[in-house]
Amino acid sequence: MRRTMGVAAASAVVVLVAGCGGGGPQSSGDQKLTGDKIVLGVLNDQSGAYSELSGKNSVAAVEMAIADFTAKYGDKAVTTDITVETADHQNKPDVANSKAQEMYDRKGVDLILDVPTSSAALKVADVAKEKKKLYFNIGAATTDLTGKSCNKYTFHYAYDTYMLANGTGKTTTEQIGKNWYILYPNYAFGQDMEKSFSTAITAAGGTVVGKDGAPFPNTSGDFSTFLLKAPNLNPKPDVLGTMQAGAELVNVVKQYNEFKLRDKGVGLAVGLMFLTDIHSLTPAALAGTTYTDAWYWNFDAKNREFADRFQQKAGTRPTFAHAANYSAALQYLEAVQAAGTDDADAVVKGLEGKTVEDVFLRNGKIRAEDHRVVHDAYLAQVKPQSEVAEPWDYVKVLKTIPAAEAFRAPSADCKL
Amino acid sequence: MSGFAQNTFNGLVSGAFYALLALGLAVIFGMLRVVNFAHGAFYMLGAFGAYVLLSEAGVPFWAALVIMPVGLGLLGMALERAVIHRLTKLDPLYNFLLTFGLTLILQDLVKLRYGVQSSPYETPSLLSGSVDFGLFDFPTYRVFILGFAVLLCVAVWWVLTRTRIGMVVRAATERPDLTRAFGIDVGRWVTPVFGFGIGLAGLAGVLAAPMRAVNPLMGADLIIVVFAVVVIGGLGSIFGSVAAGFGIGLVQAWGEAYLSNFPLVSQTIVFVVMAGVLLWRPAGLFGREEAPA
Amino acid sequence: MLRIENLSAFYGEAQVLRDVSLEVSAGEVVTLVGRNGAGKSTLLRCVMGLHPGQRGTVELDGRDITRLAAHKRARLGLGWVPDDRGSYATLTVTENLTLPPTVGPDPWSLERVYEAFPALYTRRDSAATMLSGGEQQMLALARVLRMGARLLLCDEPTEGLSPLLVQQVGDLLREAKRHGVTVLLVEQNLHFATGVADRHYLLAEGRVAEAMDNSEVRSRERELLAYLGI
Repeated sequence: MRRTMGVAAASAVVVLVAGCGGGGPQSSGDQKLTGDKIVLGVLNDQSGAYSELSGKNSVAAVEMAIADFTAKYGDKAVTTDITVETADHQNKPDVANSKAQEMYDRKGVDLILDVPTSSAALKVADVAKEKKKLYFNIGAATTDLTGKSCNKYTFHYAYDTYMLANGTGKTTTEQIGKNWYILYPNYAFGQDMEKSFSTAITAAGGTVVGKDGAPFPNTSGDFSTFLLKAPNLNPKPDVLGTMQAGAELVNVVKQYNEFKLRDKGVGLAVGLMFLTDIHSLTPAALAGTTYTDAWYWNFDAKNREFADRFQQKAGTRPTFAHAANYSAALQYLEAVQAAGTDDADAVVKGLEGKTVEDVFLRNGKIRAEDHRVVHDAYLAQVKPQSEVAEPWDYVKVLKTIPAAEAFRAPSADCKL
Repeated sequence: MSGFAQNTFNGLVSGAFYALLALGLAVIFGMLRVVNFAHGAFYMLGAFGAYVLLSEAGVPFWAALVIMPVGLGLLGMALERAVIHRLTKLDPLYNFLLTFGLTLILQDLVKLRYGVQSSPYETPSLLSGSVDFGLFDFPTYRVFILGFAVLLCVAVWWVLTRTRIGMVVRAATERPDLTRAFGIDVGRWVTPVFGFGIGLAGLAGVLAAPMRAVNPLMGADLIIVVFAVVVIGGLGSIFGSVAAGFGIGLVQAWGEAYLSNFPLVSQTIVFVVMAGVLLWRPAGLFGREEAPA
Repeated sequence: MLRIENLSAFYGEAQVLRDVSLEVSAGEVVTLVGRNGAGKSTLLRCVMGLHPGQRGTVELDGRDITRLAAHKRARLGLGWVPDDRGSYATLTVTENLTLPPTVGPDPWSLERVYEAFPALYTRRDSAATMLSGGEQQMLALARVLRMGARLLLCDEPTEGLSPLLVQQVGDLLREAKRHGVTVLLVEQNLHFATGVADRHYLLAEGRVAEAMDNSEVRSRERELLAYLGI
């Protein structure tokens, strides 16, 4: 009886302390973790166009990271009470904004992960800045996250438009062909990609002989006007660079094959492509296509080991977004472990300038200047069907792009 | 010159899809006064059905081209009997909302089972080559689509203008009450006409599978343009919907080819045309003002 | 043949017919006269089964048809000549004529129709709405004759017609009557009405105000014309 009373009293104290301390970062003393636990928030597209390349399987990847972290530190872990909150932002900036606020304020989320779609990603960066809470973006491509919209609490983890353009544009120009025709969807992402590609191609000694902004969204689903134009340009382009994504990319590739452009000497390079895109188009439709990948599951034994574990849990092979979500969650937990607190400012201090090595981050470094997480990237080429030895093993890596070259130098626009 | 011919040809191919979809919408609207928002979803089901038949049962394209329109037509008839029928006496808004909700349900059901990622579908091998037109060559499959769609439109036109069924459908479309007063059970024709319209959408879907991304949302984008096509042609005007379908396909293709320096123009050209037509002829190019009740 | 008992009809809240009872015997031609808005057209629509808001009973040949759908009433021998003539723009003249099924024992053949109306024959492949107003009126009458309808419901068949055509409509109705066809006629033209009809009902504010025979109408023509506002 006495013992029960004692426990109850102690609990009451803990609740009271937690209640007082929960209000802000000024909590001190023995209270290292707000609410005595860590909550990771995965905010992404769970039903729309990006739900398969990331979506719910990224939640699974984050859960893997938690399990791995807990297994590694055992009872030395800063806490064993680590949970995941998840929400669907439907790729809408306003939804992303309100869901992010809800996560930080009411769900006690310490770190928001993923957030594809650049406009939504930028909104969440604003929320993170205002709430002084951490945010690792994985799914969005815009370089503004580490440019004019950068802030102290936001990190850009996996890739960006510069990485894609630089990797594919530069290497393809050097190794495959100098003359390019660029087709891009005419909205912020596509325009940004087109500029980045043109810059990278020109810098590598190539020429953009033509470029067209296709309507976005392309309601007719037809790109034949542009595909017919390409082989008739003078000089004839060696490469068609398409910046379309998702279903539009599928349309472009289907019609590229219909008009047999590869037979007419026009190769295909894709701005942004995920493993899931190759799966839905089949490698046969894309054989020979080059693109830049942030990570590939069958690149080496280490990746493969992760991919096997992921497949057991999620039933499919991981895209780079899945691996990056795993890595981001893991590195955050490591940083909290090292700092001994989940206080955002302390964790940021520990992260800045840190060099990291894990299954996703090779030669990784978290830049202090702009919070860009740099790592090796890969120029990949889709295999011909005959070389596909097992399901999902669709590409070969032509070249590893070293971390130092893969990303742009810190931008002067970014003032943390 | 060959560039122009190619762009024109492509415009007609895109137009063929618009025409098939708009034709179905027009007969349904004419007979039921229902704006079938779910038309795009049935187009999607046509394409998806073709994919599922091929990947899970090995049923080839040619069989799918028969199975899907018939199957979806029957589904459409069941749907008309089960729900749409019950709302036709109320404000048309009810059926618009019903079919809108139905669209979301159908999309999500497909999403639940097959995900959002596009599913692969190959061009049937018989049609995978290209046809040489002298000045340029053109994918055989596109030639096939254009020919098939034109043939189908001509067949529908023949049935509507040369048969008793067609006469009854035209009469019931124009003045349902009057037609009942002349001893014709208009209600009996409503269900098959609805099924027929849905079947056309399914057929367009199967035709689209080899050349478009097959995913749960493929109909959602397209249907917006098809609505514009129907409005341009004149709501319920069968000839108007077909003519406007091919016309809009051409306008889009030419816009993309020759106005590519003005992407905003080529992007919105359909709606600019629609606005212009509505200002000039509020009932659409081939539409008539509704007769007083 | 036709018996209407305590018929009331509504447009939303507004009541346009109030407990109307009337009878038309087989082979009779009966007119409904009354001011605009008296409910004459509504009465015909109720008989045809096209007016949803109604109360009371409609009997045809002693059979209660109040709940019967319009197309089934037509098949019992009702022929509808609507006030707007009911021409289909999307149907040719021939199609306009052949659209309704034949419903009576004595239908006109298409040949007979074209013999009687040469103007329709020359325009037989044109859209019906391309015909003149008079021709469209002839088309509407020809259509119900071709059906072989036993009871014609004619809504102002002479409206807007030239005197010559009015004469022709009169001849047609008289000939139909000779063949045993019954006619319920909405008519404002009293002179025409007394020329073809056997009896008349005066409708006022949705009620049957008076039942009159031809001689009574003739003797009170002035008063009636003034009342009708003509």
